[in-house]
Parts: sequence; C-alpha cells; structure tokens
Amino acid sequence: MTISRRALFTLDFDRPPASIDRLVRVHRTAMACRVEVALHECDARHVAAARDALDEADRVEALLTVFRESSELSRVNREGAAGAAGVDPEVFGLLQRCAQLYLDTDGAFDITSSPLSRCWGLLTREGRLPSTGEIEAARACIGMLHVDVDATTRSVRFGRDGMALNLNAFGKGYALDCMAATLRARGTDRALLSAGSSSVLAMGGAWPVDIRSPLSSRPRLARVRLAGAALGTSGAGEQFVIADGVRYGHVIDPRSGMPATGVLSASAVAADAATADALSTAFLIGGPALARCYCESHRGTMALLALDGCDFGPLVFGAHPGATVEN
Amino acid sequence: MILTPEQRALGRRNFMKALVGTPALATLGAASAKPEPVRGGPVRLGFIGVGGQGRALLGQVSPAFGEVKAMADINPASLAKADEILAQRKQPPARHYVEWKDMLEHEPIEAVVVAVPLWAHADVVVPCLEAGQHVLCEKMMAWDLDGCGRMKAAAIKANRVLEIGYQRNYSPIYESAYAGVIRQGLLGDVYHARLAWHRNGNWRRAGDPPSKDYDPSRWGYPDFEHLWNWRLYWKYSRGLFAELCSHQLNAAHWFLGTSAPTSVHATGGVHRYTDGREAHDHIYSMFEYPKGLTVTFSSIESSAFEQRYEAFFGTKGTLVMFNESEALLFDEGGTGAATGVDVSGTPGGAGVEASETKPAHNATAANAPARAAGEMDATRASATELEISAFCSAVRTGSPLKCGPDRAFDSARACIAACEAAKASTKLPV
Repeated sequence: MTISRRALFTLDFDRPPASIDRLVRVHRTAMACRVEVALHECDARHVAAARDALDEADRVEALLTVFRESSELSRVNREGAAGAAGVDPEVFGLLQRCAQLYLDTDGAFDITSSPLSRCWGLLTREGRLPSTGEIEAARACIGMLHVDVDATTRSVRFGRDGMALNLNAFGKGYALDCMAATLRARGTDRALLSAGSSSVLAMGGAWPVDIRSPLSSRPRLARVRLAGAALGTSGAGEQFVIADGVRYGHVIDPRSGMPATGVLSASAVAADAATADALSTAFLIGGPALARCYCESHRGTMALLALDGCDFGPLVFGAHPGATVEN
Repeated sequence: MILTPEQRALGRRNFMKALVGTPALATLGAASAKPEPVRGGPVRLGFIGVGGQGRALLGQVSPAFGEVKAMADINPASLAKADEILAQRKQPPARHYVEWKDMLEHEPIEAVVVAVPLWAHADVVVPCLEAGQHVLCEKMMAWDLDGCGRMKAAAIKANRVLEIGYQRNYSPIYESAYAGVIRQGLLGDVYHARLAWHRNGNWRRAGDPPSKDYDPSRWGYPDFEHLWNWRLYWKYSRGLFAELCSHQLNAAHWFLGTSAPTSVHATGGVHRYTDGREAHDHIYSMFEYPKGLTVTFSSIESSAFEQRYEAFFGTKGTLVMFNESEALLFDEGGTGAATGVDVSGTPGGAGVEASETKPAHNATAANAPARAAGEMDATRASATELEISAFCSAVRTGSPLKCGPDRAFDSARACIAACEAAKASTKLPV
C-alpha cells in the first residue's frame, strides 16, 4: 500500500517541518563539473524529464567541447585555420551571439582567448607564469575581431594563424538553456538548474540562490531570489596560479594577456544562462566600469561585483525583473 | 556495492544535511512548514519497551503529534535513560510502569508504541489492540506466523490502527526515488534485486544488570544476558533476517510492487563470534517470487566494505539505494552516464550556492553538501519522526499508513521462512 504524504497530513495536520525544506537533486558529471536539476520534493515525478535534460547537457558538451576531436567546434577549429569552415546551424548561432557579446563588452568576453589560457597553463589546470614573449605570442593569435563570421555562407574563417574558438562558460550556460527547453517540452516548468556552481538557471518562481562570498569573513556575498532568470558567477578565488610569491587568478584579460585583477567575484543576471555566464566573465575582467556601462545600455541585466579590498556588500548595477537581491 | 572510483565519487559527494537549513521552499509554492496544534490535541501515547530502539523512537516524537504519558519496561535502568531523553527534549516526564498491563489499566492513553523483544510482540500487541489501543509496533511484525496472524486479526476485529515500524517507508529519499524513478518506469522490467547489509563488528552488547539481585526469569529470560542480548538467541529472535533483512525486504516489496515470495533458499552460521550465541553472524539467502523475480540478501559481520544497499536491476536502468542516504540511478546502455538522485536539504536556505566554477573532481564542489559525521543518524531520525507523526495522524484522522498488517505480514513471512531455511541450509516454501 502506498500513499502520498499529502493524504496523510491534509486533514488535521500540517506537514512535519522536516519534510519541506528539501530538493530532489538529479545530477550527472558533464562538462567537467556537476550538472544538476533540482526539483521540489513534490515534483519528484519529473525525475525522468530531468534525466532527459541531463542527456541534453551531454549532447551540448559533445557539440561544443574542445577536449574531444569529434566535436563540431573542434572540427571548426581545424578547418577554420585552413580556410572558411562551414558550421552547423546551432553552433553558428552561438558564434554569432559570442561575436556580438565581444563587441558589447569591449572585448572582455572573447572566445578566442584559448592561446592565452594555454600559455598560462590553465587549460590543463597546471598553472605557470609565462614569459612576456610567450604572452605576446599568444596575444598575436587572439581577438574575435579577427574571426570572420559569415552569415551568408554560414561559415567562419580565422584571420590569424593559431586561432581557436573555445566557448568556455558560455557553452556551459547554453547547456542549461537547452536543458530548460527540454524540461519545458516535457511539461516541467519549475526547476533550478546548475552547472559547476557557476551557472544557475531558475525555471519558475523565486528560487533562493546564495552567492558565495570570496571573503572568509562573510558567510555569503548576497542572496538572489531568481524567477525565470539565470545567474552566472566568475571569480578567481579558487583557481589560480602562484608564481614567485604572486597569486594570479585563472581568468585572463584577453586585452592585456594578464590575469584580471580588482574584482574578486562577478555575477551577472540575464534572461538566459549563456548570456549570464558570458557577462560574469566579462564583468570580472572589465570591472565596475564595464558592468555599469553594459547594464545601463542593456535593460534586464544585473551585475553584482565584490571588489578586492572592500569588505562590504556587493556593488549592484542594473536590474532584472526576475531577480531580487538580499544581502 | 562495488562501484568504480568515478561512481563512488558520485555517491560520496551526495546527500544531505536533512535537518539543516531554513524552510526555503515556503517561498517556492510549498505549504507552510509551521506545524499547527492537532485537532483533538496530540495523541496520548504509552511506550512499551524503552530499550535502545524504544528510546530511539521516544526521541523522535514530535510534540505537535504525540504526547508521551507513560512508559513501561521490565528494566528500570532503561526507564531512567528514557527519562533523560524526555528531559533533553524538554518534554514533561512520563509515568513509569514495570508491567505494561498496569499501564493500560491506569493511563488514559490512546495508543502504544511497542519496542519489546521480537518473541513478545504478538503477546503484547494483541491485548493492547483488544483493549482499544492503536499500536505502532517495531519491526519485525512477530516471531512466528501464528503471532502475525493473531496481530492482524486483532487489529481488524478491534478496528484499530496497527502499523509496523520500518523507517524506510517514511524516508524522503525513498519516497522520492519511488515517485521519481520507480513509478516513472525508469528501470523497465526488474527481474533481480540485491539487498546487502554488511558490517564488521560484534552484535553482542555489553551491559550490566540494573541491580545485583535483578531476576528477569518471570518474564521468560533465564538471566540478564538473555534479556540484554535477546537478539542472539533463537527463542526470542529471528537473528539478522528479522533485524536487518526485513527492513530491506519490506522496502523491496514496496518498490517492486510485490507481496511475499514463494520460496527462499538460505544458509548461514555462527562463523566468527563463537561465544555461545545461536543467531548466525553470516547469512546468505535468495527469495523467489512469481514472474521470475529473484531477490538476494546477505548480511555478514566480518566486513563492512559493501556497507548496506538495495539495488534494483532493470532492463532500462539500475537504482541503488545506498546506506539509506542516497539514490543512484544508472542507465542501462544508452550513454552509460550515471545519474545521481539525491534528496537534499537547502544549505542555508538556498537552493544552490553559486560561486566561480567548481570542477567535478573537487570534493567540495557539489551543490549538495558533503555528508558530515553522524549525518546518517539525522536522516534516519527524520524518517522515524515522520513515521511516528504519520501514525498519530492515522489515529486522529483514519488516514492510511504504509506498513499495516498485510504488508508487514509479507516481509515477516519471508524472513521467518528464511531464518528456518538458513538453520537447515535448505530451500523452503514461504
């Protein structure tokens, strides 16, 4: 005999307190991180849909990863170096978005910056301090401005030798967006999706999301209640390189070739997770000036920045209708 | 359960600080968390047997649902320890009785929680039901089929609630796994389930009698050792089949939607602790059901490597309920990707703690908090609290329960047969 708890407790009893503050978390390792669909406990019937959504994350990873020769993006990187490379429509759409984000963020978000990350040893998580010559050599083969994204032929061509595309966090956010579409198609309209803690997408109403403080003196930087919105977070607190006693964060400013400084944590709220992830990276690099400027010119975007050396709440720029900030 | 390092890592990261966090879901559309006083007031409870298991239940009575008025136990030391539990929980003291019949006669109680040695279940529960009490009885249902039958008949005749206590029935993670995996058909057809409860240690408990002249013989125990370690002697116990297997088999029946098996093969023996005990310290069994379903169970007291789990192997996927604390779902074929299913608290009240990217191999990376020492106890305690609250709810409202006489009879019948089969190392019908 099986019964629901609702049947047990609706007559004269409220539900016991221990039963309500839980989430059913359906998760898998993908894109080198934990990807998760969190459901209300009472939505456990959607576990099957959540599993399908995780399959979608696997599909997106297979499409976009640069760590597999078989991916579409790896093929584009190989062929784009030799000439115009035709691109799958889905991937081409993403490259167009990335090209626009490059322009809108003054080059702070740049999917061609892999050579820089490589020379800092960050692609293999074996950080090192490169020489000035190595940095300059890497800078010579980056810059989305030098990638010809041709909509008429749906192709890309690299304008510099040694270029390569790597969607990084944008791809992870895009995976969440695709997962949400899968869930909606399966009739699930309430879930909290996340990937590696840095990418979060809230389907349905007011999910509380804490942004971890980069400072040990604070329990959290802020709590954001998300409803139908995405939050991306970048920082340099946990992945870094130490060389000659100097600590270098893992996010490299493609414009200078050096690690971003001045911002400990940058979060961005946007309507979709891919954009939120791209912007959090850009805001970590571009700092308050870029965040303020971008949010003023792009309604529906919010930025939360924790600055190095400032032990107070985050700087908040802009607003999103689906996000409420609590300290 | 032997898992690959990657699978093991997946499992290790999971589960939950079940009682940690604030009720964040109140803002997410769920009902209010605040318990309200029960119409008619909390159920007035008497406890019969407040040894280790009885006290574990005592410590999980929610005041909104139950009020412990009295306790009966033949061991005064157990009653004293039970007093401490109530005091710690800031609940009023309960009156003491040695004889449970005296408690029934003198106390205005409505229901009893029975946690006496297995052999006495039926002889305690049946008179309680006949006296008009509702009964929550610790597992297993009874020592023999006659006892099970008498309990069931008495509950029906008296029209009283009789629930047998298996906390898995009230565990949120089991409920979620059932609703999200089993009922959705994600496993396909299941022909085999494997149950294991492996430990490495001596089941014998050390303890002193409450006084030098303490004599339990009038209650059927020749000496204090036989009362204190009743689980080790066949007269009182069904050994590991009753104490461990029945938990898992009961859950397997729930998940697989089946009643009692048709037969059981079993073997076992006292292989490690040859100290005069009778109950086996190693048992191995195979339960056969209609339509080709076979469930195996083993319990050993010489290695905890595999710990405890219920694994359901289906044509589409495999579900592993590991250590009562996490559910792991593995696709059969397809991508081969392992999907974890946890029921987790909301750390600090948040659904997710966002930060910079956390790689999968980072042990602290998961959104779900790592399990803290003793957290399992909190998980089980939560299920027990829900179980007792549901029982009180049933007493007040007549709401149905999860392990009434029929389902409890099925798992008890199987375990009783398995115990006899193991003694003879043979196959027996159930």
